[in-house]
Amino acid sequence: MTDDLRYVGGSYPVHDVTEKVTGELVYGSDFSVPGMLHAKLVLSPIPHGYVTHIDASRAEALPGVVKVFSHENAPMDGFSRARIHPGQDMSFYDETLFSRHVRFVGDRVAAVVATSRETAAAAAALVEVEYEELPAMLTVDAALAPDAVPIHEDGNLLFEHEIDKGRRPDLEGAVLVSSATSTPRIHHAALEPHVCIAQGHSTGGMTVWTTSQGVYAARTVIAELLRLDYHRVRVIKLPMGGSFGGKTEYIIEPVCAFLALATRRPVKLLLDREECMIATMVRPATSTSIRTACTPDGELLDFEAVSTLDSGGFAASTPDYSIHMCKKVTKLYRVPHYRHAGRAVYTNTPVGGAARGWGAPEMAAATEIHMDRMAARLRLDPVELRLKNMVEPHDIDLVTDLPLGDARVSECLRRGALAFDWAARRARPAGRGRLRRGVGVAAGAHKNGMYGAFPEASRMSLKMNEDGTFQLNASLHDVGCGVVTTMKVIVAEVLGVSPDLIAAGEADTATTPFDYGTYGSRVTYVVGECARRVAEKVKGRLLAAAADLLREPAEHLVAADGAVRVRGATERAIAYRDIARLSEMRHVPSIAASMTYYAVSNPASYSVQFAEVEVDCATGLVAVTDFLAVADVGRAINRGMVEAQYQGAVQMGIGYALYEHLDVDEHGRAGVDGFKNYHIVNAPDMPDVKVLLVEHEGDDGPFGAKSVGEVATVPTAAAVVNAVNHALATELSDLPLTPERIIAALRGEEVPPCSSC
Amino acid sequence: MQLVLTVNGTTYEVEARPTARLLDVLRDQLGLTGTKEGCAEGECGACTVIVDGRAVNSCVMLAVQARGKEILTVEGLARDGELDVLQRKFVEYGAVQCGFCTPGMLMSAKALLMRDPTPSEQDIRIALAGNLCRCTGYTAIVAAVKAASGQESTPQMALPGVPGELAAAAVTDPATLAVACETVESEAGRPLGAPCTPVDGGPTPAGEGSTTSGARSVSEGGE
Amino acid sequence: MPPTRVLTPSTRDELVEALAQATPRTRLVAGGTDLVRELHRPGEAPDLLIDLTGVSGLATIRLDDGSLHIGALSTFTGLQEDPLVRRHALCLSLAAAQVGSVQIRNAGTLGGNVANASPCADGATALMALDADVVTVDGAGEERRRPLREVLLGPGRTALRHDEAIIEYPLPALSADHRSVFAKVGSRTAVSVARLNAALVVRLDATTGVLAEVRVALGAVGGTAFRVPELERELEGRAVDQGSAQLFADGCMAAVQASIPGRYSLPYKQHAAVGLAYDAWNMLALGPVCEPAWA
Repeated sequence: MTDDLRYVGGSYPVHDVTEKVTGELVYGSDFSVPGMLHAKLVLSPIPHGYVTHIDASRAEALPGVVKVFSHENAPMDGFSRARIHPGQDMSFYDETLFSRHVRFVGDRVAAVVATSRETAAAAAALVEVEYEELPAMLTVDAALAPDAVPIHEDGNLLFEHEIDKGRRPDLEGAVLVSSATSTPRIHHAALEPHVCIAQGHSTGGMTVWTTSQGVYAARTVIAELLRLDYHRVRVIKLPMGGSFGGKTEYIIEPVCAFLALATRRPVKLLLDREECMIATMVRPATSTSIRTACTPDGELLDFEAVSTLDSGGFAASTPDYSIHMCKKVTKLYRVPHYRHAGRAVYTNTPVGGAARGWGAPEMAAATEIHMDRMAARLRLDPVELRLKNMVEPHDIDLVTDLPLGDARVSECLRRGALAFDWAARRARPAGRGRLRRGVGVAAGAHKNGMYGAFPEASRMSLKMNEDGTFQLNASLHDVGCGVVTTMKVIVAEVLGVSPDLIAAGEADTATTPFDYGTYGSRVTYVVGECARRVAEKVKGRLLAAAADLLREPAEHLVAADGAVRVRGATERAIAYRDIARLSEMRHVPSIAASMTYYAVSNPASYSVQFAEVEVDCATGLVAVTDFLAVADVGRAINRGMVEAQYQGAVQMGIGYALYEHLDVDEHGRAGVDGFKNYHIVNAPDMPDVKVLLVEHEGDDGPFGAKSVGEVATVPTAAAVVNAVNHALATELSDLPLTPERIIAALRGEEVPPCSSC
Repeated sequence: MQLVLTVNGTTYEVEARPTARLLDVLRDQLGLTGTKEGCAEGECGACTVIVDGRAVNSCVMLAVQARGKEILTVEGLARDGELDVLQRKFVEYGAVQCGFCTPGMLMSAKALLMRDPTPSEQDIRIALAGNLCRCTGYTAIVAAVKAASGQESTPQMALPGVPGELAAAAVTDPATLAVACETVESEAGRPLGAPCTPVDGGPTPAGEGSTTSGARSVSEGGE
Repeated sequence: MPPTRVLTPSTRDELVEALAQATPRTRLVAGGTDLVRELHRPGEAPDLLIDLTGVSGLATIRLDDGSLHIGALSTFTGLQEDPLVRRHALCLSLAAAQVGSVQIRNAGTLGGNVANASPCADGATALMALDADVVTVDGAGEERRRPLREVLLGPGRTALRHDEAIIEYPLPALSADHRSVFAKVGSRTAVSVARLNAALVVRLDATTGVLAEVRVALGAVGGTAFRVPELERELEGRAVDQGSAQLFADGCMAAVQASIPGRYSLPYKQHAAVGLAYDAWNMLALGPVCEPAWA
């Protein structure tokens, strides 16, 4: 492990921390342009049907209302909110700006544009819509029943696939274990609601400001839908108050862009919390059944799974999601034969799609709950069972055939078990009193970018300013996770200057080079490596310029601490500032470079997490009393931020395990409309999460770094569920473990389905 | 409706709708967009401000109800460009990620410390129970509030560097500068002016800082 | 439709004048934590809003000849901190401390808590156990005093007319011989609407040490908070022991069952009622800590 790094491995606040603590930072929801109008959506109150009549006259008569738009006066071409670039497979163009065939409560029927938010909201309530109702299929089973009404043309089975890898060995004498796990729809609950601002220009182009995780794809979707040339559509990323995948797909950008063009005015579309919950996207609900065969001492022989995803009213990214769910188990465990059938199903419920972890938390819940069940059946310790089957560094992933890279998950498990005092805590009896304690463990894996599944490259350029400061030009999308700072630290390390001397802005399709966005766990591993390489190129030019000025061979020179110095006589130094100023006076190439970096690998990142819970058997409430997350991060670029990301990720996972669920009633209406009834973990209920970093710097990321942000939340819920099951000697596997479900399990009664909780 | 409000020590006269919330007046009419709207129902705390010393959700308070009261928002925490100790600790303890909950958190914490200068961890968590965060898991925030009350643990991060100081930190030694200048001068066929002025001698043209180093004070370097 | 007007009375007389202008579409605003949220949603706007927060004297808490008078505009924070409430109506102080978050407690009022008539209101359960009355004033300047149970009629329903404002809650001040407690089961530790709450007021006989007076109020089950007189009678005269604790728990469970027969949440609430009852009982700290047998 190299220890002579100056900046990498330190702890840095997010790049705009000062503006955030003073309240100066202009977020998307704070943003405005002169002459801006405000839009409000009109959403379907029914889960399935056709719009037969729209009367906007009362709405449009309200002073201040500019226009009401619906399927009657908007383009009805289909688009996919999940498209990343042109020609992408698996893009289902099943969505339109406004629906005539409404497919869920919350589907967009119309939009009002008015001079103020209040007016737009008042007018939206005056738009009269008549519907012809169709039977609603509110569950996957209902949607697949023989008499189900098609939600989309090609029927309700949106997507199915199967993988079958390896060879099933002889199962004579094997122990067979089954499990079935369900995970609920989740609201991402980014604190800032969804927002977009768009403005058409008289030159025929438009500018769109959005809090999105990927501006280039926003441009693709908007330009294609509205038939504009790409060079006329400018999409700019604004500072955003969190996303967690909820702002990855293009839901309101196309609508806002259309409204701006149609009214020839700037338009801001800002959603309220209820709209964010039901009319944007949710983490899809899943159910997975697993059957394993293993030897009596716990060695996996065969692993078969069937997963079903509830896609809701539109496809979004659930087909891709369901494929990814099949790619999780073999990142973690060695098994001779793995078979996984997955399918995504349309239902008349809120749209399921991109969410942090992209199928990994869903699958980890099922897998890790299953592993504990195996452990119980075989009377093995859960840690021991996992260690027996866990992948080792440089194994090949059975499903993807890609090397897993420097996979340190078993080390995470071993070190974590020691640090958590696992053996002692696991052996302690939970007792039969009112408060019962238990501990649980779970492992999770995630990828590093999209190499192997998608063309994966990052592009950026870097230049030195005339005063020795630097400017990085890259399509960065900071969703609050410190991406900009990460790039600055990487570049700083290479160039030997403080990260504060490097400017790095965020994505703007007019000025920053094409790149995907902050998703797919690609930023540290791929974008970060691009940054490192472009910095190396610039360093080369810097050294060359200095070599020329000083008439020394470049090999005799080193760049460190803001100056180029002679090796072995580092007081002989020329500051970057002086190199810049002197070079300015010569006809020499500028000290700048561009880089396109094509990813070369896609190893796995891992986390093993340990939870201790205390269950109140009177109320069914679960307190998470201790939590340890062990992270195989390769190398922490920004140590403090890695820990902080883990702490937040665990908050999400605890919510997934215990509190959060977005269900619909028999009329397709969500039972939640805000944080009053959708509880995310608050400060009193959050434990102090301890984070242990395992850093072996393998693989091809910058300075050996691997992705963090998604894998951090992958095993959390499973660890908590496993802990509860340990405390209560139950086999709960339907998330969330609400108090009702816990009490029912304790009393030996049937565990209720969640929609009534 | 005419309304007189005192916000961060300044008195404003605003024309507001009777049903306007305090949040609306602060953001839309006074331009103080530091106070955020996250839920419009008094649950997430992003809209927290301090009214007469008490933390309240400005999204469920009518603006008219704030008449005659002292309102403190996040914009009022820093004084004369100096960050409040709470703000500094939020930076140092890594308590800010997306930052959307941050203003509300700061105001709830400020209100707590105004009444209880040395709160326990439990007190802090209860005081922040109405401020939701999805990024941080609260640990760093609680540590920051404790630190602001004088109960420091381990700050990890530094405040961003002061503009101007950093760029001047690296120095060119005179002999090396001389070599570099000679290269350029011989190429150009004429002497260079300011960039090559040696340290101890020669006038520095007005308006340009010195590019030389060593004996000159660092603060002259940045331009 | 004309825009909503707002009136900001600062004296009782001005309040009466304002109430005189009230129509069925008029709303009274106290802390705003329920109402302002509603106002912001689509729906018919009120014709008039009467802001009560500026009326002098409405937040006063005073003791008068054995009666504790709690101003309707007392905030939950105020109730939490006020020494008179802590001494003479502790269960109300404890209930106030568990309403919402600090921000909600700083703004929300006891008047609003009753006027909003949520079945889960914590303040209402405590007031019920304290035998509180409700004093209102109307647009004609007339005051009425009624028991709380005559004002709280059902979920979201009160006996209040559109031109009536709650001004105070008088209740018999608890003496040093009384103990009162409040307990709540929410969906989480803090900032949660109650799924079940209970307020308990007891007085021991000075000579015999048995329960001389017992008042039990339950809330968040049924349409409003309610007393359980049968259980109170059963407990009076008994010693403070495990047997009584068990009786109390069984009685709470039976009362919950009777209040929401057939409701989906019944099995859970019945079960949780046992724990809640034992928690409340043990908070009295009048006898040994009691425990039921757990599943």
